[in-house]
Amino acid sequence: MISGQRIEEHIISREPYYRQQGQELTIALAAYQHQIPLLLKGPTGSGKSRFMQYLAWKLRRPLITVSCHDDLSTSDLVGRYLIRGGETVWLDGPLTLAVRHGGICYLDEIVEARKDTTVVIHPLADDRRELPIEKKGEILSAPPEFMLALSYNPGYQSVVKDLKPSTRQRFVALELSYPSPEIEAEIVQHEAAITREEAERLVRLAEMTRGLEDAGLQEGASTRLLIHAGILMGSGIEPRQACKVTISETLSDDHELVAAIDEMISSLY
Amino acid sequence: MDSLFDHSTAQKLHGIIPETELNSWESEELLDCLAELSPGQQDLLLQQISVIWPVSHSLCLAFLEAIRPALACLDAEQFAAWVRGILDRYEAQGLQEARRFMVDLDNHFVCTLKGQSGLMLSDIKTRLHLYLRGVAGRPFDLESGDLPGTDTATIFLPRNSTLFSNDATNFLAYKLLASLQWALVRVNLYCHEITDEDALFARLGYPAPDKPASGIFLTRFFQTFARPKLAMAIYHFLQTFRALSFLQKRLPGLMADSRAYFQKIRPQLLADMEDKKLLVKEYTFVLDQLCDNQPLELPAGAFRKNCNPASWWQDISQILVDAAHIHDQWKDGSAEDIATPPLFQGSFLIEEAHARRLARRKKAEQQFIEALSIRIMPSVAKNQDHAQESLGSEQPQQPDSGANISLRLASQQDGQEEKEPVHDRVIRHIRLDDQKIDLDSRLQELGREIMDDLGNLPQLYLDSAAEMAAGRSYEPNFNTPEQEGAALKGASLYDEWDFRRQGFRHNWCHLLEKEIQPSGGTFIATALSEHRGVIKQLKRQFEQMRSHHRFVGRQRDGDDIDLDALIEAVADHKAGLPPSERLFVRQLRDQRDIAALFLVDMSSSTEGWVGKAIKESLLVMAEAMESLGDRYAIYGFSGMRRTRSEVFRVKEMEEPYNDTVQGRIAALSPKDYTRMGPPIRHFTKLLSQVEARVRLLIILTDGKPEDYDDYKGEYAIEDTRHALIEAKNAGIHPFCITIDHQAQDYISHLFGEVNYLFIDDVKGLPRRMPDMYRVLTS
Ligand SMILES: Nc1ncnc2c1ncn2[C@@H]1O[C@H](COP(=O)(O)OP(=O)(O)O)[C@@H](O)[C@H]1O
Ligand SMILES: [Mg+2]
Repeated sequence: MISGQRIEEHIISREPYYRQQGQELTIALAAYQHQIPLLLKGPTGSGKSRFMQYLAWKLRRPLITVSCHDDLSTSDLVGRYLIRGGETVWLDGPLTLAVRHGGICYLDEIVEARKDTTVVIHPLADDRRELPIEKKGEILSAPPEFMLALSYNPGYQSVVKDLKPSTRQRFVALELSYPSPEIEAEIVQHEAAITREEAERLVRLAEMTRGLEDAGLQEGASTRLLIHAGILMGSGIEPRQACKVTISETLSDDHELVAAIDEMISSLY
Repeated sequence: MDSLFDHSTAQKLHGIIPETELNSWESEELLDCLAELSPGQQDLLLQQISVIWPVSHSLCLAFLEAIRPALACLDAEQFAAWVRGILDRYEAQGLQEARRFMVDLDNHFVCTLKGQSGLMLSDIKTRLHLYLRGVAGRPFDLESGDLPGTDTATIFLPRNSTLFSNDATNFLAYKLLASLQWALVRVNLYCHEITDEDALFARLGYPAPDKPASGIFLTRFFQTFARPKLAMAIYHFLQTFRALSFLQKRLPGLMADSRAYFQKIRPQLLADMEDKKLLVKEYTFVLDQLCDNQPLELPAGAFRKNCNPASWWQDISQILVDAAHIHDQWKDGSAEDIATPPLFQGSFLIEEAHARRLARRKKAEQQFIEALSIRIMPSVAKNQDHAQESLGSEQPQQPDSGANISLRLASQQDGQEEKEPVHDRVIRHIRLDDQKIDLDSRLQELGREIMDDLGNLPQLYLDSAAEMAAGRSYEPNFNTPEQEGAALKGASLYDEWDFRRQGFRHNWCHLLEKEIQPSGGTFIATALSEHRGVIKQLKRQFEQMRSHHRFVGRQRDGDDIDLDALIEAVADHKAGLPPSERLFVRQLRDQRDIAALFLVDMSSSTEGWVGKAIKESLLVMAEAMESLGDRYAIYGFSGMRRTRSEVFRVKEMEEPYNDTVQGRIAALSPKDYTRMGPPIRHFTKLLSQVEARVRLLIILTDGKPEDYDDYKGEYAIEDTRHALIEAKNAGIHPFCITIDHQAQDYISHLFGEVNYLFIDDVKGLPRRMPDMYRVLTS
């Protein structure tokens, strides 16, 4: 079932492609140096995970990512005893693994996890920088190399899942919203391996859909969706079709909104 | 005829319309007409009369006349739709239009039913509006007009499109017409950026016209020509050409699809132009290129010789100069007729655009400056602190000087190559001294609007914003505080926040809770049937959000063993740890445990569509909530002055949803003013006493908080904002839905501390409010 994760597996050896939007790298590096945890805010697909990969590579630290969800338990984060051949073996969870080896632990979409699960990060996030492992009666002190990073999407306005101010205030917050059109086109061009012109047209479509955010659309097309559309086009799928399946149909179920986005697509392609 | 029957029907009728209002001949006619109907139909008709009569007596009398022919060809359902159509026309376009709609039953209604009138604008308005909003990056209103056209804020389109036999292609025609009107705004059809008129006339070698000739530049401009009509036609042609070229680049897919449209209109257009001379060749040339979707080229001859399209984007006056030169070359020819332009070019609404422009400029300027000043205020304050620190204490403080802050557009200084034409630029940043400040989408949109209007963003606006941010001084406009306290009988007293003293005025407002008398009428039935699709869908969605049962592990006891937990416990035990006793799985009810209170604005400004949409939304919402099971209450609020805040009870938290509640929803009607503080504080108190995991206060308004007295502007906004923060601190989640034609600058400040949603299309509210609730609570 669960096999022990080895820290080496989390080292990023090749430079990930990351196009900076602004000062995010400088700020994150400064936060790292001063051992302040990081909070990434931004809509989905805006490059948060990619940024963490890049940061980890830059710092030459292993990156351990946990995608948070409803059923995530404290043991899933911290670790548990297992029985192997009649013996009990302690198995570090991802968080413990990162603390022990001075890695970067990235809790993606933190608001998806239950509050009673996320309390374990509190003593890690403040000055104490320690992780209590109750089962082992052990308190791990995080080495200076360790970094905690969380991400969440402020666009989903669910009050049930809002982040507590007491938690938030321990972090340096970086907002990674959609990049400017030039940068976004550059990213899409690179990631989908399409021409600059094609990428620019996709970005224009994205901007059109983002214009609908005031008119009922929860979120406009993300960079990720543009890349998907570009990839499909690159593999020979007709552009209108490619955009429809990757963009209009994924953004909404509302009949009128989908139809309006389809019209935008067909006006561009 | 049964006299008894006749009598009671007559009574009913006169219960609605006083006998004195109808002459005996009209009454008889009407009663005869009613007599032919079944009792059920009679009631329906009487109900409809009772709806129309209070709206407008003249409309109702006209309606009575039109009933007979309508009943002859419409069935019950169609009849109801017809009545709705009449009311729609009346509200949107007035009595005249509603009359025409009634009388011309065949053209306006029956053929719609039969599909002969092609595609109606009203049927596709929502989609087209959304499309245009995305494409243009700013909202435009859509309205029907005889010809396409735009006054730069509204785009007019024909009421229906019959060009093609299928809806898809007719929609394409609409899409093209709307996009082209937008493009004409983008190419600055109305020349809203000519700043140096004298220089322009000097360039042309014309004497500048007498200033008082006309207050509108374009009118003035064309009046200087030997043949003003010709000059105008040439200019309009050039701008249309330019707008079409712009679309070819910007929306290539649209222009490719539109070949079908251009091919279809070509024969008729050529026939229309047959007896004309001027511009015929040119239009034909352009049309032929459009039919093949060729990149547009200027027609040979005078146009190619005189035009410098390359510099049009940089300098709008160039296009006027070019038009003038063509005019000069043609003006001496015989008085040949000018070709009728193709329909898609639309009308040239110089005056309307000018009026719009003046109104909007003032508003946009204020909004932009205010919003920008709020945006930069924190940075300005910081800079000032720094400045003061470094100056030391011996220097006198100068809080009001914005002059030492420099606010600039960022793009020039960033050394970016200007690739796109001026009009495509969006201002994303602003430079405050050496700091780059991002503008949010609202500011970008305002900036774009100003650029569309003026062609640039005047430095003056930036300076004003800087000044405002540096020295926002508040002038108290209150007189000596009135005597505080002294409650009305049965009224609750609430404090009000006075931002100028940063403190409360204690027991300042009196709030009364009032009953609402349920009303009968057709509102509920009509609304339910109109929205039945949405309601059905919402019920299904809400059903899925219901509290459901689920298994939770690691319980002390339960229905089954939690294998994971057991293994862990065994392992812990082996490791010498006390094993956990939580080894069971139990089925738990996943309680949503949410209590929501809907608070709706009943101020007089909600009269008309907004009020109707609010009521319909409440109804749809209530229907959906029934399948969800969350507890909810509904109240309305209004009032006048601090001594009379009123809240109206539609449904209490534990009250079942039934006919009475529906009747109260139907009875909601516009009252007085919008003093938002007291009702928010009242329901904060009420909600705090409700036991629930999540408590929501959902507020629907149509604009600024405002009362008859001094509760206005900043004071009102700050009090409301404070009340919302108080609610939040009390553990309540306030959520504000604002219905407004345009997002106002104050919204983000007012609601910034809480969640809010801005809606500019009132018709979408019944759908969006439940959607919002779903997102908010799942
Ligand atoms: N700034 C960026 N540089 C490089 N790639 C990016 C950038 N922003 C987004 N992407 C691309 O978009 C995709 C989605 O981004 P991701 O980091 O997964 O988004 P998020 O974690 O914010 O949901 C990435 O896989 C990457 O291809
Ligand atoms: Mg991610």
